[in-house]
Amino acid sequence: MAVLKTLLYLIVYPGIIFLFVYSTFCEWFDRKVYARLQNRMGPTHTGRWGILQPVADFIKLMSKEDIVPDKADKTLFILLPVFGLAIVATAGLLLPLWHYSATEAGFNSFPGDIIVVLYLLSLPTLIFFLAGWSSTNVFSTIGGTRVLTMLFGYEVPLFLSVLTPAILAGSWRLAEIARFYQQTPALLLPNILGFFIALICIQAKLERTPFDIPHAETEIVGGTFTEYSGKKLAFFRLMTDIELVVSSGLIAAVFLGGFPGGVLLGLVNFVIKTLIVIFFLSLIRALTSRIRVDQVVSFAWKYLAPLAVLQLLIVILIKGLLL
Amino acid sequence: MKFNIPIGPQHPALKEPISLRMTVEGEIIRDADIRLGYNHRGLEKLAEERTWIQNIYLTERICGICSHSHTTCYVQGVEKLMEIEPPQRGLYIRTLVAELERVHSHLLWLGVAGHEAGFDSFFMYTWRDREVVMDILEMISGNRVHYAMNTLGGVRRDIDEGQRKHILDSLETLRARSEFYLKIGANEPTFVARLAGVGYLSKEKAMDLCAVGPTARASNVARDVRRDDPYAAYDETPFDVCTAETCDVLGRTVVRIKELFESYKIIEFLLKNLPAGAISVKAPTKAKPNEVLSRYEAPRGENTHYIKSNGTNKPERLKIRAPTLANYPATVEMLKNGFIADIPLIFAAIDPCICCAERTVETLDARSGEEKTLRFSELRKLADERYKKLSPKRNAVWPF
Amino acid sequence: MTDVEIIEKAKTLFGDKIVEIANPAKRRIFMTVEVRNLTAVVAGLRKEIHLWYLATVSGLDAGEFYEILYHFGHENGSLTIRTKIPKSDAHLESICPIIPGAILYERELQDMFGIVIDNIPDPRPLVLPDDWPAGNFPLRKDWKYERPEEKIPGGTK
Repeated sequence: MAVLKTLLYLIVYPGIIFLFVYSTFCEWFDRKVYARLQNRMGPTHTGRWGILQPVADFIKLMSKEDIVPDKADKTLFILLPVFGLAIVATAGLLLPLWHYSATEAGFNSFPGDIIVVLYLLSLPTLIFFLAGWSSTNVFSTIGGTRVLTMLFGYEVPLFLSVLTPAILAGSWRLAEIARFYQQTPALLLPNILGFFIALICIQAKLERTPFDIPHAETEIVGGTFTEYSGKKLAFFRLMTDIELVVSSGLIAAVFLGGFPGGVLLGLVNFVIKTLIVIFFLSLIRALTSRIRVDQVVSFAWKYLAPLAVLQLLIVILIKGLLL
Repeated sequence: MKFNIPIGPQHPALKEPISLRMTVEGEIIRDADIRLGYNHRGLEKLAEERTWIQNIYLTERICGICSHSHTTCYVQGVEKLMEIEPPQRGLYIRTLVAELERVHSHLLWLGVAGHEAGFDSFFMYTWRDREVVMDILEMISGNRVHYAMNTLGGVRRDIDEGQRKHILDSLETLRARSEFYLKIGANEPTFVARLAGVGYLSKEKAMDLCAVGPTARASNVARDVRRDDPYAAYDETPFDVCTAETCDVLGRTVVRIKELFESYKIIEFLLKNLPAGAISVKAPTKAKPNEVLSRYEAPRGENTHYIKSNGTNKPERLKIRAPTLANYPATVEMLKNGFIADIPLIFAAIDPCICCAERTVETLDARSGEEKTLRFSELRKLADERYKKLSPKRNAVWPF
Repeated sequence: MTDVEIIEKAKTLFGDKIVEIANPAKRRIFMTVEVRNLTAVVAGLRKEIHLWYLATVSGLDAGEFYEILYHFGHENGSLTIRTKIPKSDAHLESICPIIPGAILYERELQDMFGIVIDNIPDPRPLVLPDDWPAGNFPLRKDWKYERPEEKIPGGTK
């Protein structure tokens, strides 16, 4: 029975099938919001309101010709998309959705799992760099170096801002953090500054405007993904979609109070809260233009990092004074 | 560690093929080299074998966005050779279409600049407004590009009262929206951060390298053929020459937005004071042996046609210098010491119309602009070459 | 400066270096000089009359000689300098040291007519492709176009 539940957990919910279905839905939502803000229609044709468009894109890419450049490093080139997908899907398993116990630790909810999720979410950056490097194309190399340069900017504020609510809650376990904020929702308010910093840093991690420099289409043709096509590109795109869902799930779990209420109510909570976060991310995407990579790093260190430290200070004061 | 990046001939940032070879070190460009000739169609040689009227069609097809500028410049010159004067109403309509073309070209450029900077929302909005202008042009001439309004001795189509009113009403919408863009362009920090300080061209360098159009006017060089050498109806129309002092891409954006407002003023003046009368006079078939230099202010800069006749019904020599060609040396200068991320913006800021700039002789094969690996480094786009070597192994029979 | 003023100033500056100077239409001046005095005249015009803007350089195949026209623009019109070089000895001195922006126009002259321009900073062909057969100068009057046999790269014929 437990084995069946674990298998269901790994494969169906919140495993790979749920992540696939939900991440395509989130991509549709993001594209629709982006298009409406630009006075366009967005996807309308496939399925009702175009909801099946990302699935159609995925299927189309899977059926296209897959070319491996001659001079590319073949093992890395072929394995990287699969690794990437596996990594972000694993990060999704650690979100407090189902099959966890709020009171005692288990295999998918243990003290320190917030750090593991953050770590698993920074591995895709390394994977993008390796993908660009192993393509041996000038444009991919530049894209790869840009990805790493951006990492120097946004990683520190991201970690600081995501870990401060954990400090306030007094625990390193996502399920306990969520339960803490469900019990005292008023304590969500001091973390507002951290919420916005985390939103900006997640936008940089997901390489969306204004931080989509690594795959800036008009400058370097496709950046790290220039040489990828067919199934590998389909896996990379799915990986970015799942990364979107998992990181917004992380932010919702830490800043918006988690997903209480068992299986069904928890799912509804999850959908609503992640859609709120994704709506904010799409707003940022539609309203800004791309900035240069040196401007990203200087912006992150001049504004984001000090604000994250300020947030940490606020949390420490509150913890000392009130708790 | 320096290495060479090829931008083009095929690249998402370029609307037409041109090859830029940059030597970069990290993210900074050390040297740039422009290679032309991919869009070369042999128009100057072709023009020597076609009659005066047939050449109007030839010059129109030099470019899609600035088609009216090439025909007007050519027709003006030939009218001087044939010693005929088009009537005032014809001149006013010619100027009206010229200004409408300037509006649509500048709106297109604003969108392209937004897209190159990654600001896609701005791109979508300006192109939506460009549709208003395209609808006006379609109403007047029947076409969205290649309006074919000019003929030797005047224009071919007239504007009636209903069309005139419609254009005046649409001007109000366009004006309100252009003010909105001026506000965004000046106030959106990420957009301004991408444009300010990029592609610096000092006033002395702009004069040395003979830059034209908004590129030169943004470096505070106040040259505008509409004021220096008035043609068509410009000597009766009041307008100002727009300049900026920042000498960078932000200055060029500001110059173009200001020119939009000037164009609206000019169009309003022309429509309110349209004289009555005929729209064209009859032109002879032959022209006496003579030579003429015709100048025109296209949206991108000064367009120069030099025409020489030899008494027959075909020109002896037609020399065209489109504005983008004059801005190439200035572009190379602007690219040095810039960032890679700024390449599309710097190149887009001169508003390149590459098919205007290359007209000299026909290439041997359709695709003979194919580069040999003579003087390009091995790090250029391997994809092109790879693909050509790969496919014959799979398709034994060539599809055509 | 109006046309008349420019003509007066040019006559005082250059004296008999100018073979002929004409003002056929409003805002158009045409000036003929010998090819050996070309650089001196251009430099003088740039310094004294501030004629820095070169619109373009046109080449013309006129039978026995080439006619080269340098079109300058100023604030009230344009001035064109005309010079002739014989076909048998087609050499021109480059004006790039005086006006750096003339480089592309001179490269086009070299390409299209086969005129050799001395001291040009960058002698590469401008618009013709790399595999263009040498000795073919398309804008000459005696050059006729013959369509070559079609070769499809990589396929069978």
